[in-house]
Amino acid sequence: MNPSEERVPDLVKRALGPVADAGLKRDLWPRMRARLDRPAIRLPWWDWALAAAILLCFILFPAAIPAVLYQF
Amino acid sequence: MSKHVYLRAYMAGITVPSVLMVFALISFCVVRFSYDFPFPIERAMVFPLALVPPIWGLWNMLFVALRRRRYLPLGLHGAVVPLFVGPLGFAILRMSGLDIPPLVATIFPFGVAVAMAGYYLVWKYLVGFCNELAGIGL
Repeated sequence: MNPSEERVPDLVKRALGPVADAGLKRDLWPRMRARLDRPAIRLPWWDWALAAAILLCFILFPAAIPAVLYQF
Repeated sequence: MSKHVYLRAYMAGITVPSVLMVFALISFCVVRFSYDFPFPIERAMVFPLALVPPIWGLWNMLFVALRRRRYLPLGLHGAVVPLFVGPLGFAILRMSGLDIPPLVATIFPFGVAVAMAGYYLVWKYLVGFCNELAGIGL
């Protein structure tokens, strides 16, 4: 690194000035722990059955696919 | 987080159809241009493009307004939408002067029934998730 490059960090620090109030306002770790401890979403069996029925309809009647997609 | 509840409900409601619409439009384009499907889908696209997302947003606002009075669960509330959206979409297809193939006209009520099942799942899980993110979950 030549002498002029060594001055670059100092020049940048001087130009930008100190960053005020850079710390976090509150501790985020408890929220993170709560999120991690939350149980994963579990689908009840009737929702699985409904999803399977929709898939079956699409397989048996492919012409229904555009009619359904049109409503989304 | 109690401010602008209805605005947040609207935004949470339009998120899911806006994302799903992209996939639906890709499917339509593939069917139309790759398989040479003889139906001018691009003329009918105004309905899913312009009307469906606002309907979802308004329907989610209605849910937020009604849920304080021991209202239906979110999934069932969403499953009602195709009863309005289906006939409205079909009417717009008819009014736009398109030649609707008899097969499409025959299968449309069946499509509404399947869409109700799909809407139930999508509203229960995806819109419910968006509502939770927007701070208006139950």
